[in-house]
Amino acid sequence: MSGPEASGATIRVRLFGSLREAAGWAEQSVCTNGAKATPLALWRQLGLDLLGPAAAADGSGGEALPGGVRVAINQEFTSPHAPLVEGDELAFLPPITGG
Amino acid sequence: MSWPFCHRSPVAEVHASDARRRPTVRSSLALAPLAPFQLVEQWQEEIWPAMGPAPAAMSLFVGRVRGTTTAGLPLEALELEHYPGMSERLLEQLARSMAELHRVEAVGVAHRVGTILPGEPIVVVAAFADRRGPAQRCCQELLEALKHEAPFWKREWSGGTGTWVAGNTPLAGHPPLGRPS
Repeated sequence: MSGPEASGATIRVRLFGSLREAAGWAEQSVCTNGAKATPLALWRQLGLDLLGPAAAADGSGGEALPGGVRVAINQEFTSPHAPLVEGDELAFLPPITGG
Repeated sequence: MSWPFCHRSPVAEVHASDARRRPTVRSSLALAPLAPFQLVEQWQEEIWPAMGPAPAAMSLFVGRVRGTTTAGLPLEALELEHYPGMSERLLEQLARSMAELHRVEAVGVAHRVGTILPGEPIVVVAAFADRRGPAQRCCQELLEALKHEAPFWKREWSGGTGTWVAGNTPLAGHPPLGRPS
């Protein structure tokens, strides 16, 4: 395979609320490790699974994000397993508390 | 698209074959304090002159900041963070989705962001319809959708310490709402 998926893609990653505070950063550009980049893979690549109980694995063997954390790519809710491509904006969203 | 906190109004089912106009939606985010009744007047003035007589029913919900934290301590202020761009779009999208689901004539929704003091309005929702049932159900289910589907995060400030709210409470005294068919 050729192109950004094979060589790694640059993704703009954003954090909000309690996740932003726990990580100590709000946004950064990240180059993914090789092909088939997904939000879950970037979650682990960035060490977000090591932040503490709120961000730790949910007991599924690392195959899911912790309970309540949702993913948006280019400001649309999506799956943690969705493919990422060059230039995407990826956001990890802690449990929503609007209204 | 479906939302987990909504179901179609029975009245809407009766009129499911009716050809209806697209509902009117007004949505906004506000950094300054909301004035709920001025907002309703504004929505009415914007919507009805071009549409004829106002609908027979309007359901209005005003949510205000509680004076205590989730832990029961005195609340100094509530900080509301949002995802710029996505939150504005989802406010409009959720309002339109609920308006179409319940076949109401119009929906207005306004949400605060930033620092909000106890007693200040945080959200205003109004649904306008020909019957009270769709208006009330649309208003309630849009509010529930906002609480769980729009990217807002609350932080409670008390004693100089900020604490992120872990999650919204379920709707008291109400069975879980189903998904639309």
